Amino acid sequence: MKRVRVIVASLFFAAMTWVFVDFAGKSPEWMRHAIPHIGSYAAIVVWAVLALLLGRVFCSFICPFGILQDVIGRFAPKKWRKHHYSKSYNWLRYSLLAICAVFLILGIATPLLVLDPYSNFGRIAVNIFRPLVMEGNNGLNWIALKFNNYDFYNITIYTVTTLSFLSALVVLLLVGAMALLRGRLFCNTICPVGSLLGLFSRFSLFRIALDESCTKCGLCARACKSECINSKEGTIDASRCVACFNCLGKCKKEKAIHYKWAISPPKPLKGELKNSLSGNKSPLEGVGGSRRSFLLASAAMATTLPLIQGCVKAVAKEIDTTKLTPITPPGSVSLQHFKEKCTACHLCITHCPQQILKPAGFEFGIDYAFKPHLTFYEMAFCNYNCTVCADVCPFHAIVPFQDKDEAGISKEKQTTQIGIAQFDKSLCIVFKENTSCGACSEHCPVQAVRMEPYGDSGLTLPHVYDDLCIGCGGCESICPVRPIKAINILANEVHQRAHAPQEEEAKEVDAESLDFGF
Amino acid sequence: MERREFLRTTAALGAAVLTFDKLAAAAQAGKLSVESTPDMVAVMGGEPAVMLQRALQEMGGIDKYVKKGQSVVIKPNIGWDKTPNFAANTNPELVGELVKQCLSAGAKKVTVFDHTCDNWQKCYDHSGIEKAVKAAGGTIVPGNDESYYKEVSIPKGVKLKSAKIHQALLDADVWFNVPVLKNHGGAKMSIAMKNYMGVVWDRGVFHSNDLQQSIADICTYTKKPALNIVDSYRCMRKNGPQGKSPSDTSVLKGLIVSPNIVAADTAAIAMFNQVEKMDIAEVGHIALGEKLNLGTQKVDKLNVKRIKI
Repeated sequence: MKRVRVIVASLFFAAMTWVFVDFAGKSPEWMRHAIPHIGSYAAIVVWAVLALLLGRVFCSFICPFGILQDVIGRFAPKKWRKHHYSKSYNWLRYSLLAICAVFLILGIATPLLVLDPYSNFGRIAVNIFRPLVMEGNNGLNWIALKFNNYDFYNITIYTVTTLSFLSALVVLLLVGAMALLRGRLFCNTICPVGSLLGLFSRFSLFRIALDESCTKCGLCARACKSECINSKEGTIDASRCVACFNCLGKCKKEKAIHYKWAISPPKPLKGELKNSLSGNKSPLEGVGGSRRSFLLASAAMATTLPLIQGCVKAVAKEIDTTKLTPITPPGSVSLQHFKEKCTACHLCITHCPQQILKPAGFEFGIDYAFKPHLTFYEMAFCNYNCTVCADVCPFHAIVPFQDKDEAGISKEKQTTQIGIAQFDKSLCIVFKENTSCGACSEHCPVQAVRMEPYGDSGLTLPHVYDDLCIGCGGCESICPVRPIKAINILANEVHQRAHAPQEEEAKEVDAESLDFGF
Repeated sequence: MERREFLRTTAALGAAVLTFDKLAAAAQAGKLSVESTPDMVAVMGGEPAVMLQRALQEMGGIDKYVKKGQSVVIKPNIGWDKTPNFAANTNPELVGELVKQCLSAGAKKVTVFDHTCDNWQKCYDHSGIEKAVKAAGGTIVPGNDESYYKEVSIPKGVKLKSAKIHQALLDADVWFNVPVLKNHGGAKMSIAMKNYMGVVWDRGVFHSNDLQQSIADICTYTKKPALNIVDSYRCMRKNGPQGKSPSDTSVLKGLIVSPNIVAADTAAIAMFNQVEKMDIAEVGHIALGEKLNLGTQKVDKLNVKRIKI
């Protein structure tokens, strides 16, 4: 059974990692769309039901973060791999679960995104593994070019920030250390998904159990990454067992430990019962406390707001004032919706073909930290026909477009206004230097930025038609003015619908009757 | 212009001292015989591939431009994520046929690229050019990353003194400039001269550094295209360079081929004017190009071969 687990886990892990580092969109489309959904809210229900039937198989077979810990654990020296039973930290784990749940109900995904295994794996894969893969690709490209081979292409990494890299690294090191020393300690203490599934696996129909022939030798407990087998007492904490089946092969007196149908749910241990009771009560206290501190923190932040705005005004000429609000991806409905739903797994960051989705730092507040926002730079803006981020988002933080035609083009996407271009004439080079430009207008896919006559020298100046603009950033990306561009996208906090560009009447030309004209 | 200058000098040198080398050069020049090769060929009324075959035949055959074992670059306009009916990119059939012709002349390798404005993979794909090039046996290479570009100096440039140009073009023995005829918001028209912007990395510099002059400047780069092949099968009349819809285009069924880049652009605008007004004076880079001796706007003074199919 362990072998089955290892094979299934390897497959899931490989697929998941591939999808998360797949900067070139080479993974099969079904995989790209299906695999990330193991982390969706709907899937959690499935995993819970599965936990009720078979125990926490999700944690060992499917969860990429759990499997990553197993992989790291394999590198531990032999003596570190000898585990022993330890008591569960119920108070802590259920508090954290409750905090996540309550905040989620309040519409704040931040605690969940800090703790949940799927998003953490995503951030590690996207910010640590992906750059390695990309640099590897660039190395191969460098070699291939020596042989005049263009099968690879060079790619500059724009979407890993120092903060996103370091925060992923810290998590990787901490969880890695836990995995090396204490097996699945993270999964049974901190992970809110693990704690939630534990509530179900406690009553699972199939589970690991010891029978009377057990000699209490403790070999199974030694092999238990979850440290949940108490061989002295002859009990196994099913809420912590991740169904890895490592223990099954270890029993000297063969078959004293089984994975089997448990007809009557075993009586919980006294201590455990007490723990779980206190665990049920304490979360509320915990929540009250953190909510209070959260409110306090918010209030404190609110009082400093005028101060910040004052500073902003003072340095207005040096910073792009349109970028004080994050631009959220098309399909994300509104800033509010996106903040509530996004768990910052960074999958969209990997798949954005333009590399314009970048993880935020704290510039948009704590509740936007690590979530992706749109940034425009040279030649990079939101593609008119592209819907990749919405297609891959497993949490519907970016809601997929339903009206795609056979070519994959969505009219809804093409008219989703995520922001509006703001033109500052005083910075424009046509105005400042009296030369023609029009780069912004060229790049506008909907003719919302039009060059209109200005002065009497035949020059034209851009004019933005707000109701046509979709905020794709084409104009901003190409504007040659530095450091602050003359045309910048200001985010719509609630996305709007732009008018579709009006088709002009076709002009019939009889090609056969045409002359050369010269 | 440069070719004629070359012929003139060669002939003069040949007449002066008839050493063996010079004799060979003179013989070569004689074979190219100025009177039989027109300065420009314009074809109308056919399909893109057919018109190209005819035009090249009139220009002395592809063998005149591509020698056995040479590496060739074709630079179409693939700037936008648009299908061929938008006329935002060069006609894929035309590009495919040119690849075929170059290979038939014994080219070692035919490479196609553009520094696109939209995402390059989508442009290559939706323009139909990637498919056409591959089907014809050519190679289409990326131009999406700065690492492909090398800095070169533009000594004759007025505003633009240096630029980063794609390695493939720098390495090529010969290259063809294959633009599509279209309206353009910033530069007014985008034809052969404007198509040069896709061989450089830093397009932004053009915009901040007097666009019209910069376009003329980049065309002075020493490695000139063997031919400018202007695709005017379907032209974009308005809302260029991207176009809002296929109704912005008109089918002209035209093709203009010339080594003289200013003349090619001038002739193309004349053809364009039959369906949409455009004052050539507004297309500043053409006059600026003439000033930099890149060619002439006086098409009527040239030996032009007009063919209706």
